[in-house]
Amino acid sequence: MSAQTTTTDTPTDTPAPTADGTARAAEHAPRLSWTERAPEVYKAMVRLDAAARRGLDPTLHELVKIRASQINHCAFCLDMHTKDALAAGESVERIVQLGAWEESRHFYTEKELAAIELTEAVTVLTDGFVPDEVYERAARHFEETELAQLIAAITVINAWNRFGVSTRMVPGHYQPGQHA
Amino acid sequence: MTARTAHLDQAVARALSGLSAAAKKGLGDPALAELVVIRASQLNHCAFCLDMHLGIARQHGVPERQLDLLAAWEEAGDVFDERERAALALTEAVTVLTDGFVPDEVYDRAARHFDGTALAHLIGLVVAINNWNRVMVGRRIPPGGYTP
Repeated sequence: MSAQTTTTDTPTDTPAPTADGTARAAEHAPRLSWTERAPEVYKAMVRLDAAARRGLDPTLHELVKIRASQINHCAFCLDMHTKDALAAGESVERIVQLGAWEESRHFYTEKELAAIELTEAVTVLTDGFVPDEVYERAARHFEETELAQLIAAITVINAWNRFGVSTRMVPGHYQPGQHA
Repeated sequence: MTARTAHLDQAVARALSGLSAAAKKGLGDPALAELVVIRASQLNHCAFCLDMHLGIARQHGVPERQLDLLAAWEEAGDVFDERERAALALTEAVTVLTDGFVPDEVYDRAARHFDGTALAHLIGLVVAINNWNRVMVGRRIPPGGYTP
């Protein structure tokens, strides 16, 4: 879940220099404070998020959120969910390897792998449908109610990703647990 | 064709309906809303959603000519006005995130036709239908289940 509370239209923070003193690129501003412009939409998203996470293992859920955010290129969401995952005890190693999970399967359980694979298929709909083998693998690891929640959770992080990317929410300022 | 699973948590379904309703109400243009929703459903290949929203679009009086040419709106001449075209371009960009970001020219074009409040709700509507598309395609819900 995500939220942008700033109303600023201009960058406010001077980026920290790198270790050797080289300046980093300037921080961009968000395009639109959508949570303020559409508060009822935001409230509906918060309700949706709460409904979709019920019954899901939090560790698995963070992996799903990070992987979808990687595929959808949502910088704000990656900032948020990697910090939340780390704060919840997830390992740096598993977060780093998630972008190449097919080649680092031994970092994850078979159940997690099935969920990650389903996450990718449900996230990338424009190239095709959700393949039967992907769905069936997930269905072997998750019973029907849990699978329905997993699908819902994948769709909801996709929703946050779309708000984050389209309104260009700014990564880097999230504090772990801020929107928990 | 049968659904893989019909199961969907009722609280999730209610919240998702609430999201769609809030976005649609804030946009305040039911005909445009249907064009947006149908275009996203075309891109995401959601048969259930297309069946449902083509029906609703006709109820709202969206011209058949627009529905026929929606998949090729960029080449459809004056069938769509500039405001509709800006909304459709934004719909496509927000739907297809995996190929890149939402380009500045697409966003800026939409921002010229929609004020901040309308734009936030338009984005919300694109997000909501994308969410429905995923819920329906993921579970392979067949078309025809919706009655207006």
